[in-house]
Amino acid sequence: MAEHYTSFERGGRRWLAQRLTAVFLIGVLAFHFVLLHFVNHAAEIELAGTTARMSQVSYFATMWLFLVAATFHGVNGVYNALVNMGLSGTRARVVGGVLAVAGLGLIAQGTRVALAMTNLV
Amino acid sequence: MSQTYKRGTIEDFGRWREFTAGMWAWIFHKFTGWVLVGYLFTHIAVLSTAMQGASLYNSTLGGLEALLVVRFLEVGLLAVAVFHILNGIRLLMVDLGYGLGVQDRTFYVSLIVTGAITVASVPTFVGGAL
Repeated sequence: MAEHYTSFERGGRRWLAQRLTAVFLIGVLAFHFVLLHFVNHAAEIELAGTTARMSQVSYFATMWLFLVAATFHGVNGVYNALVNMGLSGTRARVVGGVLAVAGLGLIAQGTRVALAMTNLV
Repeated sequence: MSQTYKRGTIEDFGRWREFTAGMWAWIFHKFTGWVLVGYLFTHIAVLSTAMQGASLYNSTLGGLEALLVVRFLEVGLLAVAVFHILNGIRLLMVDLGYGLGVQDRTFYVSLIVTGAITVASVPTFVGGAL
């Protein structure tokens, strides 16, 4: 069996960031699922309750960091999966650029949504 | 230091019978990762209804949750997320040098625990929609 299957350059910053975001996401994704599917059932969620949660500084900060970490982890993971499938050269740079724009757009829209859900600002 | 391996094209699923547990773990981790990143974009799109006020947000979420197929898709999403988390922990442990000799078994444990959590969660997810 191979030692590892990865297109990441070991020791690189993106390799490290992928793992650091993974550690953060393990806890926050589990927390998100438990809170919004088991503690508060998804079918009963309304904007008033969402706003109450998002108006707590710690919850708002956690969810915004969740958005940023998940976007980086997902987009970086997709890029590396594509590199693993043979993407290289100019095509890799173009795809990387498109994914970066999509990721930044998602963070921007997610931030707008988060601000619409809170009474903090 | 990174090493490269001649492992053929993993995407050639015609030789799936030759796949080891490690290959399946790699494929499942990629598949669940694709699903999760796709869902992330969809999730933000749905939550964007909050920008148009409580009425649209509540009716959109309520309308989706009223569909039984959405409840089952949520169960699928849970399964995907749980496997990605458990296998991700396994990968982090391997990166740190732990459990190198039991990678096959830890993959099977990830699958079994994912299945158990998913099955146990069905009543919670489907409740009220049947």
